[in-house]
Amino acid sequence: MLTNYEQFAVTSMMGGTDTPPRLNGTLCFEHEWERSAFGIALDLAKQGFFEWEDFRQELIAEIKQWESEHPLQDPSWDYYQLWLNALESTLIKAEVINSDELNRLALY
Amino acid sequence: MSNQFEYPEDREKRNAAKIKALETLLIQKGIITSNSVDTVLNHFETKKGPFNGAKIVARAWMDAEFKKRLVKDTAKAIAELDDLPEGMTGAESEHVKAVANGDGVHNLIVCTLCSCYPWSVLGLPPYWYKDPTFRSRAAREPRAVLREFGLNVSQEIEIKVWDSSAQIRWFVIPERPEGAENMTEAQLVELVTPESMMGVALPKIA
Repeated sequence: MLTNYEQFAVTSMMGGTDTPPRLNGTLCFEHEWERSAFGIALDLAKQGFFEWEDFRQELIAEIKQWESEHPLQDPSWDYYQLWLNALESTLIKAEVINSDELNRLALY
Repeated sequence: MSNQFEYPEDREKRNAAKIKALETLLIQKGIITSNSVDTVLNHFETKKGPFNGAKIVARAWMDAEFKKRLVKDTAKAIAELDDLPEGMTGAESEHVKAVANGDGVHNLIVCTLCSCYPWSVLGLPPYWYKDPTFRSRAAREPRAVLREFGLNVSQEIEIKVWDSSAQIRWFVIPERPEGAENMTEAQLVELVTPESMMGVALPKIA
């Protein structure tokens, strides 16, 4: 039934712990970088550089770890921070970028 | 792993710079283009979303004959509109079906799977929508559930609950609110929320 990749990818997150923030039927980004991080991850998966499900599992693991280290309702919760962490580890595992390149990014 | 104890403002700046650098790196490597990233974002921001449903409902408020056609053959009526993005007609909207509030009826839509949600007109489903409790209670005691949403539907009005499936994805045409009689179509579009097209709220004039 679902033929569209974007739709398939986001549907797979609905109801999971990794479900993205949204408001009034649309994705909800607080900052422009979050929007870019979302777009880059989805674009790469759509092109086949990694499986969307593999990225999801990284994100779910990041969320699980954050939850184990923070109280519920901790105001420092930042979905897209964890998204970014998950994207970095996915890019390394899928060999889209190497660790030298990642280290250079970490300087920012 | 980032240090969670830094000031959030620093974190925002650093993340913004990092994503910019990553984007530049991936473009240099020929892996992405700014176009390819925009394409996936456009899907949610301009192609499929509640902005489509709002345009359809506003047109139905402006044109009673269109509203009749919309209820009778939803896909065909949607195809009449020329200001909807590409892809709104065809395979996907064939499964979309509109039900109209009014004449003593209030409609509420539920669905079991998010893949059955009419994304092309309503966008992404809210958090609570996939909750099995919501769905089963909505079917059993819709009036009580709507009251919890702050919507009191009087006893004289019948509540119909529509369960979306892979074959039919429902959306609600709410009634044009009182006080909106002299509004333009563009102003009306602004009144139509996804909740009002799910039947858990009514359009309100801000």
